[in-house]
Amino acid sequence: MWRLWLLRAAQLIGSLVGAVVLATLLATASHPSHGVSSFLSAFLAKLLAVLSGDFGQSATTGASAMTAALTAFPATLQLLLAGVIVALLLGIPLGVFLSASRTLRAAAPLMQIIAATPVFVAALALIWIAVRVLDWNETSQASALSWAGLMRSADWSTALRAFALPALTVGAAGAASVQLSIRRAAVRAWSAPYRNGLRMMGLGTFDIDLRYAVPDVVAALLRDAGEIALALISAAAVAEWVFHRDGAAVLFLKSAAFGDWNVAAAILFVFAVIKLVAQFVCLAVSWFVAPDEGV
Amino acid sequence: MSAAEDIWSGPRESRLRVVISAIGLSGAGFIAVIVALSDVIARAPAGAVKVGPPSHVPDVMYAFGTDVLGRDILSETVHALAVTFSSGLVAAAIAIVVGAVAGFAAVRAPLRLGVALRGIVGVLGALPVLLLAIVVVGLTSHEFAPIAAGLAASPSIFNRSFDRAMRLARSRHAEYARATGIPASTLLRRDLVYEVRGNFINVAGRAFASTTIALATLSFLGFGAMPPHADLGLMIASARANYLELWWPALFPALALILLILFARLAAALDEGEPP
Amino acid sequence: MSEMLLRIRDFTLARSGAAKPQIENFSLALAPGDTLTLLGENGSGNSAVLRLLAQPLPRGAAASGTIQLRDNPEQTIGKRTLLDLRTAYLPGPHANVLNPHASVLSQLVLIIARKLRQPRASAQAELSLALGRLPGAPAPEALDLLPALVAPEALGVGLLAAAMAQTPDLVLADDPLGELSPAHARALAEVLKAEQKRLGFALLYSAARAEAANLLGGNLIVLRSGRIVEEGSVSRLATAQSHAYTQTLFRTTATGEKSPDRSTARGEPLLRVQNIQFATRGKPSARDKLNFELRRGSSLGLIGEIGSGRRALARALLGLDPVAAGRVVFDQVDIGVLSTGMIARLRRRVTFITGDDDALDARMTIFDTVSEPLRAHLAMPRDLVAHNRDAALKRVGLAALPGSRTVASLTPFDRRRLQIARAIVSQPLLAVIDEPLRGLDAFAQSVVRDLLRNFRSNEGSAMLVITSDFGLARAFCEDGFVFKDGRIVERGPIAQLLRAPQDAQTKKLIEAVAAAPVTVAPDPPVSPPSDPEPLSQPVPMVPEG
Repeated sequence: MWRLWLLRAAQLIGSLVGAVVLATLLATASHPSHGVSSFLSAFLAKLLAVLSGDFGQSATTGASAMTAALTAFPATLQLLLAGVIVALLLGIPLGVFLSASRTLRAAAPLMQIIAATPVFVAALALIWIAVRVLDWNETSQASALSWAGLMRSADWSTALRAFALPALTVGAAGAASVQLSIRRAAVRAWSAPYRNGLRMMGLGTFDIDLRYAVPDVVAALLRDAGEIALALISAAAVAEWVFHRDGAAVLFLKSAAFGDWNVAAAILFVFAVIKLVAQFVCLAVSWFVAPDEGV
Repeated sequence: MSAAEDIWSGPRESRLRVVISAIGLSGAGFIAVIVALSDVIARAPAGAVKVGPPSHVPDVMYAFGTDVLGRDILSETVHALAVTFSSGLVAAAIAIVVGAVAGFAAVRAPLRLGVALRGIVGVLGALPVLLLAIVVVGLTSHEFAPIAAGLAASPSIFNRSFDRAMRLARSRHAEYARATGIPASTLLRRDLVYEVRGNFINVAGRAFASTTIALATLSFLGFGAMPPHADLGLMIASARANYLELWWPALFPALALILLILFARLAAALDEGEPP
Repeated sequence: MSEMLLRIRDFTLARSGAAKPQIENFSLALAPGDTLTLLGENGSGNSAVLRLLAQPLPRGAAASGTIQLRDNPEQTIGKRTLLDLRTAYLPGPHANVLNPHASVLSQLVLIIARKLRQPRASAQAELSLALGRLPGAPAPEALDLLPALVAPEALGVGLLAAAMAQTPDLVLADDPLGELSPAHARALAEVLKAEQKRLGFALLYSAARAEAANLLGGNLIVLRSGRIVEEGSVSRLATAQSHAYTQTLFRTTATGEKSPDRSTARGEPLLRVQNIQFATRGKPSARDKLNFELRRGSSLGLIGEIGSGRRALARALLGLDPVAAGRVVFDQVDIGVLSTGMIARLRRRVTFITGDDDALDARMTIFDTVSEPLRAHLAMPRDLVAHNRDAALKRVGLAALPGSRTVASLTPFDRRRLQIARAIVSQPLLAVIDEPLRGLDAFAQSVVRDLLRNFRSNEGSAMLVITSDFGLARAFCEDGFVFKDGRIVERGPIAQLLRAPQDAQTKKLIEAVAAAPVTVAPDPPVSPPSDPEPLSQPVPMVPEG
């Protein structure tokens, strides 16, 4: 078992090193360099700097790229965190409901008809419904709201509304992944030979589900954490843009548009780290929930 | 066996899958016809202003209405659909060629090279398709958006193909085949024939759906199509300024986009091999 | 019969929507201490009886008949039939009845706790006690692992201990001996019989093959397609006086089968092994130096338990793994000096028939599977390929199946026959036969055995038979190597090994198949090679239930 986890940890470190190299390449490639050797020396110099956490300076503001990225990240992390909560709150019941019977399991892929809506279209639709149907004032204009702002705000409901729509947008995208992961795992667990075997040996269905099927499903959900994180990050980028929230994703878009690659590389690197670490941690937790030699 | 096969097992479900796939393919075919006849169906060329009265509500004359500049939304949507459809095809083709074919080929490369490639692509897979595509467009130019979307979608396809090809290459049946002198070319033919026959529509449908979403989002964010060759994403972006009142210039391209993605997913028999 | 434990009369069970009942007019009577084996192919209805006694009837199933426990009044079998009987279900270690992500020990303890309505601590104590009583049982700590990490034989004993800890009146055994090697099956059967003697439970054993009945003795009910073919004591039904179908089922266990004649089919050397060092564990000593010849058309058995090194030797002989020293000469060519391409050419004359259900590509169609060697190796015209393919399919009895069906949709029995058809068209010089009967029920085993015998006499290939079953080795091989712990412990002509085994391992393996003395009708004579299509009649198939 220890060998397995050493291997996993080595893979994580390898991926993180890969992310560093990728970010360095991006930051270097944007600077004009003449010939392979000058590119290589620029790359190596940059790599050393990046390894010490220095991504260089922003081409637009002149500030440190990493500082600029890290200043923008709290807002994005809040959005991601809220998205995770919404995704679990929506996705788990939906996944469980859609795996409850054979008919529902067969009908569940029809979910994709709803999931065919791109995130930005869904976000615009949410705003339209909020303003035109629910008569919320134009939430799309309420910019840069954070938890801190929300706490200070006198008008709680307005502030909450301003935060609710982006969180719902990101959460819905995550929920689609969560329910799919649950359904896949549930189908596997429901048709596994051990269910009938343990029943024949004298365990009740409730016992089997609670002790064995549910941990299997939870572990499978945790193993899919990487994919879910990608869906959430992607949705967060769109949501920040649509809802005018000043977060890391919007900063990334602006940096990419203005060719400020030091900042873009720093943000991309942090996103990759978030995904890789979340995946590793969830994988480790999944092993404790339902150990599996193959994982 | 993919997870989708787990969910859709049994003869009745497999018949249902064929029906769903047929619906999706017919839908996609219908859109292809619209795209082919776009110049006939559309009353105005792409981007033509003052075709009708500005901000005209949809009616018999202007089925999808007009926008503030008097552009006919029906014509604009048809033109934009043609742009989205064709660039989606290009992107999907790139994603499949770079992803699936390279994935299958990498397994046949020397083991270390293959594993190293898988590792490198694995790092790219740690980033969302959208952000990767933005990087590629940012480093090149707007015209490269379809290529960018295709390249950005290819790592996940590469990884899946590589893993599947690795499983196939290490499978018992391949081992027995090699032990009885079946040449590598025959085994490669087997994989190509059976994977293509069994999965091509699924893989293509899913790749088209995901690259189309990425492309439309790129345009919406300002990294994709540029006027006058607007695609559906850009149409929605430009209608966004006052869509709370003028809903039709945003609604119809959005519906067209959703339909296009839906038909691609239906053609893939709603295969859920990857998270949406 | 002095005391009655359980009586079932006229039990019929039909699943909703099924054309045929799973079991029809089935009756049995069991007294405490009785052993009754229900023998039948997969889908013959024996599992339906076990399920009736182990858990409530499935939803939507129509059942009729009566059931009587001890001297209680008879009750009709229905959805709410409650049995006031302590039953314990005993599955086999290969049946994947446990959750793969939880330790074996924890699951067995939970089962005992629920069945005995005790806290888990005392259930664990019961299990430890039961394990302590069983000879050869693992320690409880050795079972505190995921199922995949516990050896099948240890898992088998663990499951048995869990059943015994429940001090049952009736043990419902779902072929726990079925997939074990003969030696392990025999050991487990001995333990089961000893426990039965001690606890006095009745044993109802559902078997797909006759070996278990031979090992356990007692009474036997032979089932086919949900109906009883005949019933009686094992000793009577295993004789030539029984029903023809019963004889087919017993023929696969025939230990009295004649070895092939050593004088026939011996030709030029096909495989010559000179001074290769063979030992998979530890340092090979001079004793492990191996020299032998396999002549064309002759046959060598590599006999041993799984992991004993038999397969490693086969791989070395075929050039799949390099040999440390010495030479392997195949068809007059030293395979040590060949390029990969040349080895591949040489291997065209080798074929495999294995008990591995993944040996064929599940995506391929029946036609492609059989014609692939023809197309890949010989640039044969299309119609000739089709002709050879059809002839081979006809010989194995698969001609009636549509050729476009994929391997994935076939039963293990059909896949096994398809492997033989693929082997037939390759016209091999050497056939590697690797546990070819594994996982098949008695009827299928009997057919596959006949097909192999037929394959041998028609194709005249040399054979390497990898098996743990001395009976199989005896039926197909002239010479044998016996393996233990990665080394060859004994070698010689099979007849001599059987007559005067020297090594303890050889004795153990021989004893494992030399079950209750059985006289069986001799095999039908092998068709002479001149017969063009000796098995042209499609094999009668019983639809799976």
